[in-house]
Amino acid sequence: MSQLQARFFTEDQRYVVDDVPFSIPAASEVQDLSNVINKLLEAKHASHSRVEFDFLVRSQFLRTQLATHMETEGISTEDVVELEYVQRITAPEPEECMMHDDWISSVDGDSEWILTGSYDKTARVWSLEGKALMTVAGHSDVVKDVAWVKRDGLTSLLLTASLDQTVLLWEWNSERNKLKARHCCRGHTGSVDAISTDPTGSKFCSGSWDKMLKIWSAVPTDEADEVEEPADRPRKKQKTQQLGLTRTPLMTLSGHNEAVSSVLWCDSEEVCSASWDHSIRVWDVEAGVMKTMLTGSKVFNCISYSPLCRRLASGSTDRHIRLWDPRTKDGALVLLSLTSHTGWVTAVKWAPSHEHQLVSGSLDNLVKLWDTR
Amino acid sequence: MMVSLKTCFPRGSMEASRGNVQSAEQRAGMKKTKKTDKKRSKQDEEDEEEDQPFDLNSKAMEEDEDDDDLSDSEDSVYSGLEDSGSDSEKEEEEEEGGSDDADEDEQDQSEQSPVKESKKKEGAGEEKEMKKEDEYDHDTSDEEDIRNTVGNIPMEWYKDFPHVGYNLDGKKIYKPIRNKDELDDFLEKMENPDYWKTVHDKKTSSDIVLSDEQIELVNRLQRGQFGDVNFNEYEPTVEFFSKDVLIHPVTNRPADKRSFIPSLIEKEKVSKLVHAIKMGWIKPRRVEDDSRGRFYDLWASENSSILAKHKMHLPAPKIPLPGHEESYNPPPEYMFTDEEKALWEQQDPSDRRLPFVPKKYPSLRQVPAFSQFIHERFERCLDLYLCPRQRKMRVNVNPEDLIPKLPKPKDLQPFPTTQSLVYRGHSGLVRSISVSPSGQWLVSGSDDGSVRLWEVCSSRCMKTVQVGGAVKSVAWNPNPSLCLVAVAVDSAVLILSPALADKQVLLSSERLLTTQQEEEEPSEESQTVVWSETDGEELNQGIRLKIQHPKAVHQVTWHSKGDYLASVMPDHSSHLQVFIHQLSRRRSQNPFRRNKGLVQAVSFHPIRPYFFVATQRSVRIYNLVKQEMTKKLQANSKWISSIAVHSGGDHVICGSYDCRLSWFDLDLSTKPYKMLR
Repeated sequence: MSQLQARFFTEDQRYVVDDVPFSIPAASEVQDLSNVINKLLEAKHASHSRVEFDFLVRSQFLRTQLATHMETEGISTEDVVELEYVQRITAPEPEECMMHDDWISSVDGDSEWILTGSYDKTARVWSLEGKALMTVAGHSDVVKDVAWVKRDGLTSLLLTASLDQTVLLWEWNSERNKLKARHCCRGHTGSVDAISTDPTGSKFCSGSWDKMLKIWSAVPTDEADEVEEPADRPRKKQKTQQLGLTRTPLMTLSGHNEAVSSVLWCDSEEVCSASWDHSIRVWDVEAGVMKTMLTGSKVFNCISYSPLCRRLASGSTDRHIRLWDPRTKDGALVLLSLTSHTGWVTAVKWAPSHEHQLVSGSLDNLVKLWDTR
Repeated sequence: MMVSLKTCFPRGSMEASRGNVQSAEQRAGMKKTKKTDKKRSKQDEEDEEEDQPFDLNSKAMEEDEDDDDLSDSEDSVYSGLEDSGSDSEKEEEEEEGGSDDADEDEQDQSEQSPVKESKKKEGAGEEKEMKKEDEYDHDTSDEEDIRNTVGNIPMEWYKDFPHVGYNLDGKKIYKPIRNKDELDDFLEKMENPDYWKTVHDKKTSSDIVLSDEQIELVNRLQRGQFGDVNFNEYEPTVEFFSKDVLIHPVTNRPADKRSFIPSLIEKEKVSKLVHAIKMGWIKPRRVEDDSRGRFYDLWASENSSILAKHKMHLPAPKIPLPGHEESYNPPPEYMFTDEEKALWEQQDPSDRRLPFVPKKYPSLRQVPAFSQFIHERFERCLDLYLCPRQRKMRVNVNPEDLIPKLPKPKDLQPFPTTQSLVYRGHSGLVRSISVSPSGQWLVSGSDDGSVRLWEVCSSRCMKTVQVGGAVKSVAWNPNPSLCLVAVAVDSAVLILSPALADKQVLLSSERLLTTQQEEEEPSEESQTVVWSETDGEELNQGIRLKIQHPKAVHQVTWHSKGDYLASVMPDHSSHLQVFIHQLSRRRSQNPFRRNKGLVQAVSFHPIRPYFFVATQRSVRIYNLVKQEMTKKLQANSKWISSIAVHSGGDHVICGSYDCRLSWFDLDLSTKPYKMLR
């Protein structure tokens, strides 16, 4: 068998070709098919410039010869093959380089600014052009995680979590470029490794090395919460260290047996946390109890949840990215396992607009974009 | 006139007949009718006086009826019916006596008219014939009594008279002369042989001698038999219908037409019933449900344990039934031949096929007592006693299955399979590493004279401490409430405070370090081991204490409580090889007086007060409380390099320079449980 009947279609209106079956060689690969489409487009529009395409057969990407793929997937070669093609996403080129003095621990993007946390005990606010706007300095130790809370006109609220066991809530006025530490969230007894703000921006959750999750209010007030300070602590020293008003947690969620590596809000009432104890737990914030637990076999470094496909992606130290369904009651069900990293997967993130795409970062110095199809 | 003529005719004839000589009975009947006529006329007269108009009507009626009665004969007046009807009144009426015959005829007519009417309905001719036949019958039946002319009157009325009645002329009829008296009767009885069958007929006053046939008839009747001799009362009955299928039909009647035509009435009835069933007016008879209530499960409530017990029950062994050879008179083929007998005697009693020799006796009486009886009973009792009376459950298990399966290496994870993180920074050989009790930090000592503190999860070097010499060993204090690292550099042990922990932890470790315990008496060890506090540059780096040893320290190790640490200075010639330091009191002591060999490594037991000292060939276990050696583990290796104790305290593993690991289980023996290469 050397020829196949194929029909091409796409959802991208720019690259539509006529809906007629073509006879193509069965041994053709992605590059050949891409050439075919480009030829067709050139015939249609004279001004067409070459675009690389990727092809999907029944919602699965074509990565081998067409005939081989169809054989392995058990698709009949008698019928006309429906080939969907999408523009190939090419590897991005770095545009700007923002130089930090030290390792960067975390990044969080806003629509205008980028917030980075660094091992030099500071966090920085960058504009999209790569200009350092503000240095958030105040922590006595490494900044482990940063997060934007809310943007209210010119003033923004941002959070920095640090190894010095505190989370600082800052208020930043972008116009005057003035920064003020509003609250110092004390309560953790280990380094705060992960923070996440809830969708409304009124609360945030922090996960720490001390195995606890704490829910805090993210609304800045002018009153400090009452804190039981150890009596023998030198009063003077505390005064000098104090940055902003002290705030205590609204709620503490304990249950993990090892350090919490990642937290996120699945929805307004649900917090999802990943831990080094091989478990992902979903917590009900209203009741303060654990709802479900997904048990893996490896340490989880990071998780991400996509409301589009309702999947949880987790990155583990065994170099796999796993997809979970958080609604399953029994847990321990891996929907899909993505493997190609050669180091710990330290970051995963679902595409905010695409149902099937997620990006992962690993200690093998690679960032990979995945399409789960 | 016609009426009167007609009605008068019978009377006239009657009167005419009176003159004739007729049978007495006829005459008597005539008399009767006359009497009744008189009587009735008298009654009617009385009636007439009372109800005149009615009479008039009746007369008119009579005239009409007379016309109808034209065809009727005069004889109807004498119908037996009328006679019998008036019989009962006869005696009373006669007493009334005289009567006038004036209107007798007419009254007779009126009286008899309804009777006539009823008669008319039956055939008139038929009636005439019947009348005639009756008369004949009457005549014939009365033929015997033809000589009795007195009539049917009781004879006792004339008992005392010589006559018995009167004839038509009114003359007396005399009784026949009876000249027999009692004597004659007696003589007759004596002499006449036929006397016993002589019957006196009172009516004719004659003696009749019965014939033999008549006597026979009387006898038969008396016996309750049929009068007819020839009648066979025991004649076999002929069954009209029988079980035999006959060729011919019982009746030759052809089958009815209706048997071929469906009955309309039945059809209507059936259709009514069907309709009623359809409409639900009639419920078809319900079929009784047999499944419930008819049968009972007697064993339903039986306890399953009882059943199980029964299942497990084994009945007692039965004695084999005696065979022919046990008979007192066995068949010859069961008798032993000489060879068989010889064989039987030679055999061991347990090997014998039979426990006895079959013997023949001429009779049962001569069979002697069974000599083996007691023995046989005993054997039987033994059988009953020894046989298993319960089924034993035997589980068929393959012995291979009992051995637990070796786990797959995949399931034994985590163990390092791939390189995950590289902690880069040292420029010399890294001699020793140690992990903090929380697992967050890693300390490493290197030949480049630095101690580095790493964050485990990110391989970030958090701190570098220059100690100014090749670091031989580092050890993180295992107490989670302390944050201290012991570092062996050259001939000193440094206590490092990395300040990588909670403030509380830092405070507590600070307190431990600052509590100054004055030395009470300077001991021997205190001279050899010098504790000193650091200052200046070293203090800034976090080095808090310095324990100066006389020789180069190769290893430091902490007790699990975190207060004691042991240091090793391998030396062939000295007994000062191991020191145990108490941090809180800043005291050091040498636990061993004698040199037992080159000490390679030491370790504290995690729970109990044991101290492991690994020399070149063996591991000695000392009890620190009793200050004595409890065990000596023989490692089958040439040169032990290191020792580690499991956190449970039961397992010790030793590494050696000849690439072996000796795994000891302290509960088992002093020999290695396993050798790993």
